[in-house]
Amino acid sequence: MESTRGSSAGRRSRRGRRLASAAIAAGLVGVTGCGSATAADSRTTLDYWLWEAQQLPAYEKCVDAFEAEHPDIDVRITQYGWDDYWQKLTAALVAGAGPDVFTNHLTKYPGYVTRDVLLPLDSLEATSDFDGSEFQEGLADLWRGLDGRQYGMPKDFDTIAIFYDERMLADAGMTPEDLEGLTWNPEDGGTFEDVIAHLSVDANGVRGDEEGFDPNNVVTYGLGSNGSGGDGHGQTQWSWLAGATGWTYTDAKVWAEEYNYDDPRVQAAVDWLFGLVEKGFMPPYEQIGSSPDPAQQLGSGTAALSPNGSWTIGSYTELDGVELGVASVPIGPVGHPVSMYNGLGDSISAQTENPEAAAQFVSFLGSDTCQVIVGEQGVVFPARPAGTAAAIEAFRAKGVDVAPFINLVEHQYTVLFPVTTHPADVLSILEPAMDAIYIGSRDASSLTQVNQEINSLFE
Amino acid sequence: MTQLQSATGPGAEAIARRGATRDARRRRRPRPSAGRVIAWVVLVVILLITIFPFYWMLRTALSSNSALYSNATSLLPVDFTWGGFARVFGLQSTEEAIAAGGSGADMNFWRYLANSVIVATGITVCQVFFSAMAAYAFSRLRWRGRNVVFGIFLLSLMVPLIFTLLPNFLLIRELGLIDTLLGIMLPGLFMAPFAIFFLRQFFLNVPLEVEEAALVDGASKVRVFFSLIIPMSSAPIATVSILTYITAWNDYFWPLMVSYTDRSRVLTVALGAFQAQSPQGGPDWSGLMAATLIAALPMIVLFACFARRIVNSIGFSGIK
Amino acid sequence: MATPLHAVPRRVGGRRPRRDDTGLALLFILPALVGLVVFYFWPLARGIWLSFTSWDVLTPLEFVGLDNYVRMFQDPVFWNAVRVTVYYVVLNIGIQTVVALLIAVLMQHLTRSTFVRSVILAPYLVANVVAALVFLWILDFQLGIGNQVLEWIGLDRIGFFTTETWAIPTIALVNVWRHMGYTALLLFAGLQAIPRNLYEAARVDGASEPRQFFAITLPLLRPILGLVLIISVIGSFQIFDTVSVTTSGGPVNASRVLQVYIYENAFAKFDFGYAAALSVAMLAILMVVTFFQYRVTRAGQTDLN
Repeated sequence: MESTRGSSAGRRSRRGRRLASAAIAAGLVGVTGCGSATAADSRTTLDYWLWEAQQLPAYEKCVDAFEAEHPDIDVRITQYGWDDYWQKLTAALVAGAGPDVFTNHLTKYPGYVTRDVLLPLDSLEATSDFDGSEFQEGLADLWRGLDGRQYGMPKDFDTIAIFYDERMLADAGMTPEDLEGLTWNPEDGGTFEDVIAHLSVDANGVRGDEEGFDPNNVVTYGLGSNGSGGDGHGQTQWSWLAGATGWTYTDAKVWAEEYNYDDPRVQAAVDWLFGLVEKGFMPPYEQIGSSPDPAQQLGSGTAALSPNGSWTIGSYTELDGVELGVASVPIGPVGHPVSMYNGLGDSISAQTENPEAAAQFVSFLGSDTCQVIVGEQGVVFPARPAGTAAAIEAFRAKGVDVAPFINLVEHQYTVLFPVTTHPADVLSILEPAMDAIYIGSRDASSLTQVNQEINSLFE
Repeated sequence: MTQLQSATGPGAEAIARRGATRDARRRRRPRPSAGRVIAWVVLVVILLITIFPFYWMLRTALSSNSALYSNATSLLPVDFTWGGFARVFGLQSTEEAIAAGGSGADMNFWRYLANSVIVATGITVCQVFFSAMAAYAFSRLRWRGRNVVFGIFLLSLMVPLIFTLLPNFLLIRELGLIDTLLGIMLPGLFMAPFAIFFLRQFFLNVPLEVEEAALVDGASKVRVFFSLIIPMSSAPIATVSILTYITAWNDYFWPLMVSYTDRSRVLTVALGAFQAQSPQGGPDWSGLMAATLIAALPMIVLFACFARRIVNSIGFSGIK
Repeated sequence: MATPLHAVPRRVGGRRPRRDDTGLALLFILPALVGLVVFYFWPLARGIWLSFTSWDVLTPLEFVGLDNYVRMFQDPVFWNAVRVTVYYVVLNIGIQTVVALLIAVLMQHLTRSTFVRSVILAPYLVANVVAALVFLWILDFQLGIGNQVLEWIGLDRIGFFTTETWAIPTIALVNVWRHMGYTALLLFAGLQAIPRNLYEAARVDGASEPRQFFAITLPLLRPILGLVLIISVIGSFQIFDTVSVTTSGGPVNASRVLQVYIYENAFAKFDFGYAAALSVAMLAILMVVTFFQYRVTRAGQTDLN
């Protein structure tokens, strides 16, 4: 922002001045007109925010159904990408101009609860009959605040699995069965690393488990990259590795006051993962940048295996020329695979001017009607069992077998997101540290120091 | 070697002419010197570097996203399509947009364009007008404490605008003007210290006799201001107005803090929002470049109309 | 066209009585005065006050004395922000001034055409975010034409916005692109003020081009150059727009300049008090830098006399 300096030239006619006065007048009318509420009539408008672009069509349909049932309520959906969503949401709440209802995330919502920015569902008529048992096991509890009240309506759940391209497997002389029952451990990577090595190909066509493989000149990486995971506790990146050692982020399920990043198990897992870069089995940080696109990696042949969350299935099915397959994450030292089990929720802002209408909308979002509509779109697994079933069907119709995602939930082979206070601060400490480990300027033992910093937030 | 010093100004022209005739008498040197050629080449390269991004914006906006992935370097638009612009103006349905690589989010650039016009016009008209009034008071009116108060105004030049943004945000919030166009305009509506300082310089240069004559004729000082000083200073006023307009139009940080929904969003903030809505598969480059072009176009048009005036106005004359 | 700062109107004879325009003057400066007090001085005071508090805007304010400042001095991200910002300013202003001087001198020798000057100025007309997004595209790692050209030449692709070492230089260069024309025109105007006869005299004395530049042009341009530098540096320190739409401070804090850090604390971390303290720090740094610049370049004096 530089100030301007100038000197003489040009004319300004009297007519110009009159035009200007007219412009001010028009402007002020426009300003006050735009400044006042848009409703001169009795319609209520609700603002709903979400971050997943893929889910936009599904929720638009849901909103259509809602508006049909409630003709006096209009719902406006706004979508911001994940990277910007939280900053924009917080800024809007600080400014007092936030949405009425918004999609909430376990790692962020404690910060809003402690600042009284969320309305508990039991305080509003439409949602006062909330019954957590109507949703998939354990999801509703995640959204219970320190005071025991419900702050989020379960929306959907997700787990992690590995996407692959069958043709790339065939090129390597492998079949989808070869991806079943893989084992992994942080010391030597188990059969999982063997497979990754075999699937990595350098510019001369040499495979990662063959002589003369050049890690600096790789054309196809065995394992795709989704960044360092520092901005989300490694949900898709390493939660299924660290979790498979029996490690959990915190000891208490929710509202803990101590993290476990100083545990050698998670550090070994992280070291193993980012050690793949040096071996040439995973893309380096510079190539991925700050907005990694793992689906694109699979589609362009840059990566052979792409671990990612169930909410991204749509990006993979969209890929041209790929014979998509889904495999389970590998079996860890605990004897079975482990995936992060996350559940999104819809929350009502305490700043809303229409709490009852908002509650009606949230109640609808948590109903079978809406969740089946969303499930049928085949983009996520809705939290209600009916919705989940619809989704499984929809995915099957698209040719995707989602068993690897669902099976872990059925057996509760899961690790949960940490739900603690100071969520934004924790991540702002974790993210640069994780990035540095990925880049290679530090190793995972630096996480002990990071853990200390994080835990000091709770003092 | 003498040819490198291209003279400017009347006296120097005469010298150059004499030099040229002298040369002609000796022997004609038809080719420009190597130094001059290199200088021109460098200048042309710089001009190209300056212009190229604009062209690239246009070329990308007119290409389709899928073609961009396969052919990123062709100098012409690939797979010519108006799709980018259609998405930006909200003319494509969600499905169409997602299929074309966009995000399907609701973008309404007509609205943002209108908002930018209102904000920039409002700020320019009011700010320049009030600054002119203050400048008049500091230069042409006589009153006790004039210099002291002017000194205080000068002090405000020292405060980098950036420092006032956070507290001004809080003020606007307390006034209930968050997410309104008035909220965006308010801090800038009343004056800009530079405009006052600058216009005062010019008002001081208006010949005293003309003003005295009007006063003798019975005109009030107010009338002198409106009917005499303003028209006579129309040049600097126009300049300050155009520069203020451009600055207000291109402002990003302050509107970002104040606007949160469509009703008060201006083009610059809309661009940021558009980029934040990047779909899963990668940014909608075609749409983004179309949006960028639309945000830049009004200023380019303004510039094309007033190029000479703007370009000639850049300098430091009178400020010492 | 130098004018004395305070033109004293001559009194005609002694016949006219002293006019006191106080009432009218107050009316005329009222709007500006309102603007000054409400939107400059009051925020200044309030900003300083806020820096001694802890406040998330949604819950009541809490006075914490010097806590924010203590925290700031121990905050590695703050020092990183200062370092990164200074690095940016040095790169940006350094390159920009040299390029602008080059353009100004070229124009002085080759052409004064309005067309050329308009083209040169064009990047300044568009918003910072516009320039940032265009270059985000041009320098994209996968698809940007910038990296394609690098490949043709035989060099490796560079992650311009995605690599720690390149993030700040890239942003600096983008802003050079945007501001070089404007700065060039400012310097160009300054060059016009140097009397021709000095050059003539030097030529007659047999001085070469470079010597004329260093012995005549630079010294006489110094006041203008000094002023341009001061304004540019102040503006450059306040970089936000470009970073906000390209790297958002990453990767790993490599481009987390001071203004971005302040915004994050205020609007993403519910910490207005700390953000205010950071702003005060920024203000202090700016004032110190400006003061030194003014002294070093002796921008207030001209050698022309």
